[in-house]
Amino acid sequence: MLEIENITAGYGGLTALSDVSVSVGKGEFVAIVGPNGAGKTTLFKTISGVVPLRSGRITFEGRDLSSYSAWQRAHFGLAHVPEGRQVFATLTVQENLEMGAYTDEGQRRRSEISDMILELFPILAERRSQLAGTLSGGQQQMLAIGRGLASAPRLLMLDEPSMGLAPAVADMIFERIIDIRDKAGLSVLLVEQRVADALQSCDRGYVLETGRVVLQGRHETLLKDERVRQAYLGM
Amino acid sequence: MFGRRSLLRESLPIVGFAAVYMAVASMVESEYHLLTFTLVAVWATMGLAWNILSGYSGLVSFGHASFFGLGAYTSALALKLFGITPWIGIPMGTVVGAVAGLMIGVPTFRLRGHYFALAMLAYPLALLYVFEWLGYQEVAVPLMRENAAYYMQFTDHRIYVGIAVALMTAAMILSRKIEISRFGLSLLAIKQNEAAADAAGIDIMRNKLIAIVLSGAVAGTIGGFYSMVLLVVTPPSVFGMLTSAQALIMALFGGVGTMWGPVIGAMVLIPLSETLHAELGNVIPGIQGVVFGLAIILVIILAPEGIYWKIRDKLRAGRDDDRRPVDASSAAPAEPSEPARIKPGPDAPIVLSVRNLSKNFGGLKAVQDVSFDVPEGAIFGIIGPNGAGKTTLFNLLNGFVTTSSGSVSYKGGDITGLKPNAVCRLGVGRTFQVVRPFLRMSVLDNVIVGAFVSAATDDQARENALAAIELVGLGGAAERIAGSLTNKELRLMELARALAGQPKLLLLDETLAGLGSSEVEDLLAAIRRIASRGVTIVIIEHTMQAMVRLADTFLVLDHGQVIGLGDPKTITREPRVIEAYLGKKWANRA
Amino acid sequence: MGTVAIVTENILQAMAAGLLIGCIYGLMCAGLGVIFGVMRVINFAQGDFMMLGMYVAYYFVTSFGILAIMGPYAGPIAGALVAGPVLFVLGVVLHKYLVTRVTGIRVAGLEGEGHFAQLILTLGIALVLSNGGLILFGSEPVSIRTPLSRTAWELGPLMGDAVSIFVNKARFVGAIVSILIAGALYLFITKVRFGKALRAAADNPQSATYVGIDVEKAHRVAFGLGVAITGIAGGLVASYYPFQPYVGIEFVIVMYAGVVLGGMGSIIGAFWGGLTIGLVQQMSTLILPTQLQNTAIFVVFLLVVFIRPEGFFGRSAERT
Repeated sequence: MLEIENITAGYGGLTALSDVSVSVGKGEFVAIVGPNGAGKTTLFKTISGVVPLRSGRITFEGRDLSSYSAWQRAHFGLAHVPEGRQVFATLTVQENLEMGAYTDEGQRRRSEISDMILELFPILAERRSQLAGTLSGGQQQMLAIGRGLASAPRLLMLDEPSMGLAPAVADMIFERIIDIRDKAGLSVLLVEQRVADALQSCDRGYVLETGRVVLQGRHETLLKDERVRQAYLGM
Repeated sequence: MFGRRSLLRESLPIVGFAAVYMAVASMVESEYHLLTFTLVAVWATMGLAWNILSGYSGLVSFGHASFFGLGAYTSALALKLFGITPWIGIPMGTVVGAVAGLMIGVPTFRLRGHYFALAMLAYPLALLYVFEWLGYQEVAVPLMRENAAYYMQFTDHRIYVGIAVALMTAAMILSRKIEISRFGLSLLAIKQNEAAADAAGIDIMRNKLIAIVLSGAVAGTIGGFYSMVLLVVTPPSVFGMLTSAQALIMALFGGVGTMWGPVIGAMVLIPLSETLHAELGNVIPGIQGVVFGLAIILVIILAPEGIYWKIRDKLRAGRDDDRRPVDASSAAPAEPSEPARIKPGPDAPIVLSVRNLSKNFGGLKAVQDVSFDVPEGAIFGIIGPNGAGKTTLFNLLNGFVTTSSGSVSYKGGDITGLKPNAVCRLGVGRTFQVVRPFLRMSVLDNVIVGAFVSAATDDQARENALAAIELVGLGGAAERIAGSLTNKELRLMELARALAGQPKLLLLDETLAGLGSSEVEDLLAAIRRIASRGVTIVIIEHTMQAMVRLADTFLVLDHGQVIGLGDPKTITREPRVIEAYLGKKWANRA
Repeated sequence: MGTVAIVTENILQAMAAGLLIGCIYGLMCAGLGVIFGVMRVINFAQGDFMMLGMYVAYYFVTSFGILAIMGPYAGPIAGALVAGPVLFVLGVVLHKYLVTRVTGIRVAGLEGEGHFAQLILTLGIALVLSNGGLILFGSEPVSIRTPLSRTAWELGPLMGDAVSIFVNKARFVGAIVSILIAGALYLFITKVRFGKALRAAADNPQSATYVGIDVEKAHRVAFGLGVAITGIAGGLVASYYPFQPYVGIEFVIVMYAGVVLGGMGSIIGAFWGGLTIGLVQQMSTLILPTQLQNTAIFVVFLLVVFIRPEGFFGRSAERT
């Protein structure tokens, strides 16, 4: 469904990704792990078109994304839940979700998806008319995920959903992500710092280090691999 | 370059230019063309005044008409009301302009970005209405038939050109002096990165105030002269938007941040608009403003820093292939060899001592109850996952952020709550994650900015800068333009800049981020060399591969708290650390 | 009449005038507020766009015999409303070919702060428009003269027979139209999907892109809309105030004072800010000579900038 072939990308003089290949199959849960600065967020931004591609190819459901600008890609069924939540702070919770449903597909299936989101995160229903900027970190993360789901995507990309959250809240968010995978039948591409959680729940994983894929495989193999630990701790 | 240039030699081309200009003007007969020659010099000077503040320090002023208009009214009213000769009236305008600069600068420099721009825009417009209300809608300078020279009223218009050129030459020499002085470099540092300048020990407010006072003085002077040329002053003609805009346009069109810029701008635009005005003024009354408007629209789109830089960059690109990256290690044959660094022993004196340091942002506890000691000569690594509070901790250490509770002491003295430039003066240097060098300046000039804090003289600053460049291994690249450096070389330059201030303690903020593995090696070698000179190093980093080989001691932060302190080997086996980096489940498995 | 009555009458009269003018100022501020709120661009040319709105209304009303056909109420209103679409098109075109050149990613790499390029570009546009206006329209002040410009309704007598307030009809009509258009703008940005998308694009352009909003287009529409609304306000001002091509600069500070007062970035706050500025301007005539009316606005503006730069009317979360 998503096919990333030998891409190179970066900002200014920096090359953040070199020769990275990643693929996500239909209904698959793929995790990308790796230490800070490995290029995970850049990979996501390259997929959604915010960071330009220098070489290589990204196709989504057979369509070459490089000829489409970032905002168009959202309409193809690609939802990017960015690092650090990035909710629309000055809009209400309700309006944030409406903006999530900006795509045609999201419009069409609005009520059905809205029910699903509120079932996953009941707190969002309670806070419906509150400004998103006044929510707690965990609630904002739920809203960000809800906003991503509202577009009725076929691939949900989650960038560090547990970052900066208290451990209990992060656990809860993580459980919900697994629910989403199980119930909604979406493909999920996850970047996560909590390596063990990510690797345990995914089907396949990639380990990124200084802009390259250093290791990939099924989750049970990666979990055993000593090199994952080395990538993070250096020894 | 800096510190070796004599002002006398630098002034020669300026004086030569002025002489040629004067020579050409003296061949002109027509009174009208002589007026154009005068106006070119007047607006060049006004552009130079604008450039002294906005070009060098980056604080773009949309209200230089305040100074110009006050100067114009000062000399005109002095003559009209009190019969004071312009030879005194114009210097009075200088003083009024300088005082206005100070009075406007003190409150307005507290404002940032948009607010600064809007406030500067408002001052001259407010003054415009005040002068109308005072009844000075039109002040005509009285004609003095007797003693004309005493009242600066000449029948030979060449003399006006002469005075205008003299003022322009003085403004150019003043600008040149600023460009090659410590003050000018400090302004550039502020323009580039105010926080970094502050951390390099530069007193920001003082430098900005000096700039606006000088700028106001030059604008006041030329305004005072202007009213003697036109012999009539009205509020819209001297306080109007077009006056402010013209100052900015001359500099912007010709080139920002160089004394040649406003001169080039005035020499192109003033004759153009004057000619159009003379030829078509009756038919098309607003042609001048349209020309100026189009000129800046074109410049900002095609050559955003002005034609001087555009041409200079073109010439440079054609002339030298400076951009070929020089490998730092091979470029400097005299590079010091890797010394054997001795890690500090258990009884080494403590340089930096942090006790129960906490910082809350609203409800968020960014740093909680952190305590640690750094012994002299150590390489001390602060690590932790994203959002762990590392950068906040650094900002607390050098004074960018005020502490909520706890204390920081450096060499036994309490430095909690000191301002960054004060902390820097005590001998604590710092680098930044984002490197923003002056791309058109040489490596040496870039580094000298960092040397000012500890150097008494300019020569001393230069020497310290050269030594720092040598130590980091950029010895062969000192005269190269920073814009031609590779990413790694920029990091080394940044390191040299922090080092040039001769710190005893150096705080490094993610110096290795975004570098490839071979580049990391060069940086590590440079950091070790610095440490072997007895400089204590505290470094934040998340590239662990490199850190385990560099640091003697690790402090691990997670959620703002210390979760581990010890040598790298022990720390990376510590379950709590593994948990922080790889998640709880991973730690449980191990 | 006693002194008390005279003072009361003067105060009430100034307040009434201030409220009416304030509504029109509020509308022009809301126009600028849309541009600043969505794009974070300081537009120095806003006053000159307003001037163009005045002339569009003026020529529309005076050259087609509109006044005779539509009467003194509907005629000037129609003129002002016509200014809207004309300026919208102009705004969109200028944004597409000029303003985008200095906003967005292109600017990020430049030395110094990118927004100065925007300030300078809009200053250039301002100079071209105001001086170009001089070429096209001449320097003679004009205004849309209708019977309403010079007539007033009398409120009162109040306090026995002592006090009467006169409400200028042209200003009153302008104020009503302003309130209606500001209300429509409010509904557009809070109820209409594309209006909300404008706010989303303003709030977080990157996230807006992620949910499929074309931020570039949102900015273009916001620029056109902001210019158009201020142009309409200009058309309304034209019905009671004589103007010439340099009139823009007088109102630029009024607009920025209103926008800053309302909290930069808040569109509705800008309306309240403008209303306050109108009141301040008219009330200041009670104690200051008329030439200093605008100076009073500058003083308020500078005070706000120094004391409370986040403004008075914005919602707190809007500025996070």
